[in-house]
Amino acid sequence: MKSLTLQLNGSKVTHEVEPRQTLADFLREQCRLTATHLGCEHGACGACTVAVDGQATRSCLRLAIMCEGQSVQTLEGLDDDPTMEVLRRHFHQSHALQCGFCTPGMLMMARDILSRMTNPNAQTVRDQLSGQICRCTGYSGIVTAIVAAGRELGRAPQA
Amino acid sequence: MKAAAFDYAAPKTLAEASALLGSNGAATAALAGGQSLLPMLNLRLALPDLVVDLGRLEELKEIAATRTNIRVGALTTHAAIEDGKLPETFGGLMQKVASNISYRAVRNHGTIGGSVALADPASDWSGCLMALGAQVRIAGRKGTRSQPIGEFVLGQYSTSLAADEIIVGFDVPRPDAALRWGSFKVVRKSGAFANSIAFAVSHGRGGPAVVVLAAAADRPCLLPAVAERIQAGEKSEDVLRGAIAQDVKDVTKDDSYLMRLHTSTVLRAVREVEAK
Amino acid sequence: MDDRDQTASWIGASLLRKEDARHLHGRGMFIADIIMPGTQEIAFVRSQRAHANVRHVTKPSELAGRVFTFADIGQINILEAGPELAAHRHSPYPPLANRRVRYVGQTIAACMMPTRAQAEDLVDQVQVELEELPAVVDVVAAMRPDSPRVFDEWPNNAYISTWVVEGTPESLTSAPIRLRRQLRLNRQATVSLEGRGVLAYWDYRLDELVVYLSTQGGQVKRLALSQMLGLPEQKVRVIAPDVGGGFGGKNRIMPEDVAVAAIALKVKHPVRWIEDRREHLLASVHARDHTYDLTISADRDGTLLGIEGDIYIDAGAYALWPTGAFQEASMASRNLTGPYRIRHLKLNAHTVATNKAPMGPYRGVARPGATFALERLVDEVARELNREPFDLRRQNTVTSAELPYKTAAGMKLDTGDYVAALDIAREKIDLPGIRKRQAAGEPDGRRIGVGFAFYTEQSGHGTVEFVKRKFRVIPGYESANVRMLPDGGVLIYVGVQNHGQGHETTLAQIAAHELGIDPARISVRYGDTAVGPYGFGTFASRSIVFAGGAVGKASRALAEKILRIGAHLLQADVGDVRIEAGAVHGPSAKISVAEIAFAANARPDHLPAGMDPLLETVATYEPTDSGGVFAYGTHAVVVAVDPDNGVTEILDYVVSEDCGTMINPMIVDGQVQGGIAQGIGTALYEEIPYDEQGQPLATTFADYMVPCAPEIPTIRIAHLVTPALTTEYGVKGLGEGGAIAPPAAIANAVADAFRDIGATFNETPLTPRRVSEAIERARRAKESHR
Repeated sequence: MKSLTLQLNGSKVTHEVEPRQTLADFLREQCRLTATHLGCEHGACGACTVAVDGQATRSCLRLAIMCEGQSVQTLEGLDDDPTMEVLRRHFHQSHALQCGFCTPGMLMMARDILSRMTNPNAQTVRDQLSGQICRCTGYSGIVTAIVAAGRELGRAPQA
Repeated sequence: MKAAAFDYAAPKTLAEASALLGSNGAATAALAGGQSLLPMLNLRLALPDLVVDLGRLEELKEIAATRTNIRVGALTTHAAIEDGKLPETFGGLMQKVASNISYRAVRNHGTIGGSVALADPASDWSGCLMALGAQVRIAGRKGTRSQPIGEFVLGQYSTSLAADEIIVGFDVPRPDAALRWGSFKVVRKSGAFANSIAFAVSHGRGGPAVVVLAAAADRPCLLPAVAERIQAGEKSEDVLRGAIAQDVKDVTKDDSYLMRLHTSTVLRAVREVEAK
Repeated sequence: MDDRDQTASWIGASLLRKEDARHLHGRGMFIADIIMPGTQEIAFVRSQRAHANVRHVTKPSELAGRVFTFADIGQINILEAGPELAAHRHSPYPPLANRRVRYVGQTIAACMMPTRAQAEDLVDQVQVELEELPAVVDVVAAMRPDSPRVFDEWPNNAYISTWVVEGTPESLTSAPIRLRRQLRLNRQATVSLEGRGVLAYWDYRLDELVVYLSTQGGQVKRLALSQMLGLPEQKVRVIAPDVGGGFGGKNRIMPEDVAVAAIALKVKHPVRWIEDRREHLLASVHARDHTYDLTISADRDGTLLGIEGDIYIDAGAYALWPTGAFQEASMASRNLTGPYRIRHLKLNAHTVATNKAPMGPYRGVARPGATFALERLVDEVARELNREPFDLRRQNTVTSAELPYKTAAGMKLDTGDYVAALDIAREKIDLPGIRKRQAAGEPDGRRIGVGFAFYTEQSGHGTVEFVKRKFRVIPGYESANVRMLPDGGVLIYVGVQNHGQGHETTLAQIAAHELGIDPARISVRYGDTAVGPYGFGTFASRSIVFAGGAVGKASRALAEKILRIGAHLLQADVGDVRIEAGAVHGPSAKISVAEIAFAANARPDHLPAGMDPLLETVATYEPTDSGGVFAYGTHAVVVAVDPDNGVTEILDYVVSEDCGTMINPMIVDGQVQGGIAQGIGTALYEEIPYDEQGQPLATTFADYMVPCAPEIPTIRIAHLVTPALTTEYGVKGLGEGGAIAPPAAIANAVADAFRDIGATFNETPLTPRRVSEAIERARRAKESHR
C-alpha cells in the first residue's frame, strides 16, 4: 500500500492505495464518488472521464498513485460550476441523455471541449467526441447541446 | 478487469530509473503516460512485478531547438504537440499526426516516447519520425547513445532498447524552408489504430524525399521507389502505382485487398505533397 | 405547486424529461454504485475452450471455501427454456458448468473475495482441466449429418426446424425472374454501455432474498429465480436500480444471475458481480447472426411473387430462459414479406446450436435480418429488370386503401400510408439530385450511392402473438397502480422497466391528461417487485402501448372517483362537473383536486355515503387486438464509397416514420436516432468473428468497433401520424424501428454506387475489406465476360 495525497474536488485528501488501483476505482470505491462510471476499463469508451490538473483524463487509464500532488475533478465537484450549469441545461433541453450512464463522462468531456474551444461548430464537436460512446441517443442531442452551450458561453463565432 | 498486483516506484533521476528497470528484466514495466500500459495491465496481458514511473524525470521533458535539430523530450504528450508547443512542427505535419492519435483525453497523457518505445506497428510516431529522419536519444547504465529511428524499431513490440535503457528524446533535423509533406491514415473508426498510414516528405522540389508506410508490416517501412518518383516530380498515376506496388508487394504478400488499401493510402500522401 | 391553466394537451407535448436531473448531476444509482456494507465481489472462472469436458477444477487449498463450483451452490432447478413445442430440444443451462462447457466464456466457477481485483487474482489460481472436443462453429456446416454435436443426444444440431409455407409456392418455379442469393448478418453483441450486474443478499428483517439486478423486467426474473432456487416467490425480491441500457441484453435469465443469488443463500453477507467489458463481449447476449439462402421470384413487370429458401439462425450453445432463440426464426420467416404484396412463401428456418454464446433478443429482433434479406433481394430484382429500385419497391408496396392488410404469413398491417412514407423519403433524400450527382462523378474519385429500405415494426403485441410464438410466459397485459396522496400528488407504479425510454415523463403525461393535473405532481415508480404491480418489463416496443394504456385506464378510473367526490363536496350533480387544471369545476364553484384527495385519504367523513375512502386504482390493460400494431417507415441513405480501400461514409440519412400518436415527440426522435446509430453499427462496424476452434476474435473495444459521434451522421426525420385503431390514444410502439432498416438501406446504397459492375453487398458489417473485395470480384467477373 502507498500513501496518496491529492486535491479532490477542491479538498485535500489522503488515502492508502494499492499501486494497481486505477484512479477510477479509487474515486468510486474509496472516495464513494460514483458519478464516474466504468464502461470498458481500457480507455475506449470515455464513461470514466474526469479532469486531472484541468486536463480531460480517462480515469481507468491512470493509476491513482500517479495522481500524487495533482488536482482531480469529478462531476460531483461541479454542481456549482458555471460552465457545467450551462451544459446541464442544454443537455436537458436537447434530450442529450436517455439511460444516463454515459452522461457524466460526456459532460466532463463537453466541459473540456468548451474550455479549449470557443463556439465550436457541430462538426468540430463531433470530432472532439471521438471515442466517447453513447448507445442510446445516437449522439445528435449531445452534439446539439454542446454547440448550443458553446454559443451561449462564447463570444466570437469560429469555424 | 482489474490488474494483477505489482510494486511501484517513481524514481527522480535517470540513473535510478535505469537501475530499477535493469534489475528485473522482463518483470519490470516502464510507465510513461500509461495510455498503452494501463489497458494491458487491466486486461492482465502485462504482469510486471514492478512498474517504474518515469513521470518525474525532468530530462525526458526537454523541448528545445538547436541550430540543427528540434529536441523533443520522450515525455512530450501528443496533446502538447497537437497544441503547437514544439518550436517547429515541420509545416504542421507533427501537429496533424498528433491530433489524429486516439482521443483527446488519451492525448493529454500519452507520450511520443512511450509510443515509440512500445513499437506497435500501427502507431503513428515511428513512421512520421522516420520520414523526418529523426534520431532517438537513449540513456542507460552504460551511458547515452543515439540511433536513427529506422534502426531503433526492430519489429512488432521490439526495439533496440536494453532492459535498463530509456528513450530520453528525439532529435529531429530542422527542415529546409522548402519542406513539403503529405500524410494519410485509414482507421476503422475515429481514434482507432491505423490499418494503413503513410508519410511523404520532400525537401525542396527535386530535393531528397522520404516515403514511409506504417501499419502494414511489423515495423514502418521505407518506400524508396516511390520516393524516387516524388523527387523526379512524377505526375503519372500509373507510374506511381507501379512504384508503390514494387515497394509494397513483400509486405502485402498475396493479399490483394491489402495491396489496394496501402496503394491508395500512399497515393493520397503523395498527391498531398505534390499539391503543395 | 403549479396548477397552471393547461389548455394544450399533455399528449403530444415534448415535455423535458423528469429523469434527467439525477443523471446530469452524476447521482444516478446503477448497480455498481450501490454501496452495501460487507459486500464481497465475485469474479468467474470461464471456459477458454469452445467445447470441452470439464475433467477437474482444482481450487487453491487455503481459499477453497471462496471458490464455488456447480457442486457448491446447492440444488438448482434448471428451467426448460424455449418455446412450448415438443419438437424444441432441451439444452439445460447450468449456472456453473456441470461436466461440459459449450462456449468460450461459459462460467465454470465463482470466486468470492473482498475486492474484485482479489477475486480476479483467485480466478487466476484456479486450475481447470478441460478435455477438448470438436467445436461446432459454422451454422450451415452444423446442420450437416456428419457435424459434431453440441448436445450428444440430439439427432442433429437444430434446436428446432420449422416451415413457413403460404400461398402456392410451387407456382414460383415458372416465374420469369428467379434470383438466388446468400445473405448474412454476422454475430454481434448488444453493448449497453453499462454491462450486467447482480447484487444479492438475505434480508433478515423481511426474511427474503433480495436481488438487485440490472434488468429490463424484474417480475419475470423473480419467477425464474424463485423456481430455480426453490424459494417461494414471496421470499424473493428483485429490484432494478437505474439501468444503463438494455436493448434486449438484460431480459433473459443468465447463469451469473443464478450463481450469485445461489451463493448469497450460502453466505451471510451481500455478494456482487459486475460484468466487465470483456465478459460482456464473450458471454452476454449475442445477436443478429442470421444466414439466408433465398430465391426471390418476380414477374417481368416487377411484381414480386414469392420467396423460398433456408434461414439459419446461429442460436449458440444454450436456449435462454424463457424463450430461447426460436422467435428469431419465427419472426424472420414471417417478416420476409415486408410491406409488399408477396403471397407465396416456402421457408425452412433452422434454429441451430453452435459452440458460441447464446443468442438473445437485440433491438429489432430478427427484423434487421429479414429486412436486410428482403430489401437486398428487391434491389437485385430491380437491377435484373433495369428498373429504379425505388420505383419497384413502391409498385409492390401495400397502399393505404388496402389496409388493414393481412400478409401472407398472417401479420395484420393495420394503419398508415406506406406509400406516402416512401415518397417523403425519396423527396427528402432528393433521388433525382443524387442520380445527377452520380452521373457527374466525384472529384475525389469516390462513388456515390443511394439506398432505400422499408421496415414494419410489430409493436404492442400481446396474447395472440405470444401464443403464436409458443412463449412459456405470455406478456399479455400491463398493470398500473395509480395512487393519489392526501396533498393531491400522485404516485404511479407500473410493471414496465424504464431504462432510457423516458417513462417517468411519458407515463406522467398520460396520467396528467386524464387527471387534469400537472405532470410535475406525478411520480412514476417501477423496478421493485415488492412495490409494483405484476408486469412483464420493457421489450418488444411494448411500453407505451401497454403501460400507457394501463396508466390511462387506471387514471381515468381515478378521475371518475375524483369527480364524484368533487360533485358531492360542491353539492352539484356529477353530470355538471368537470376536472381541469388541478380542480373539479362545478356550475358555480370549484374545489381543488388536493382538497378532494385530502378528503379521500384523511377525511372520510367528508365523502359521499357508502363510498370507500382512498384514491387508488389498479388496472390491467391489453389492446383490443393483441396481434400488434405496426409502426413503419422508410430509411433513405446516401453513401460515398472509396473503391480502393472500401471505406464507406454516410453523407445523408433520412427517415420518414409513423408510430401513430406520439405522446412526446422529443422522446420519439431520441428513440429513432438511437436505434439508427445501432443499426449503423450493425451495417458497418460491429462483429464478433470466430476462428475454426470457436475462439471469438473480438473481445474488447480494440477489436469490436462501436460507432461514436464522428461515425454517426445527423439523421433527418420526418413524421407521419396515423393513429392506431386498437390502442389507447392511437399509440404504436417505436423503440426498435430505427435499428431495423439501416443494414438494408446502407447495403442498398453501397450496391447502388457500384450498380454498373453489379457488385453485391450481402453480408454485414460492410467492412472496408468486404466492400473492396466485392467490388474487385464484380470487376473481374465483368472483365471476364467481355
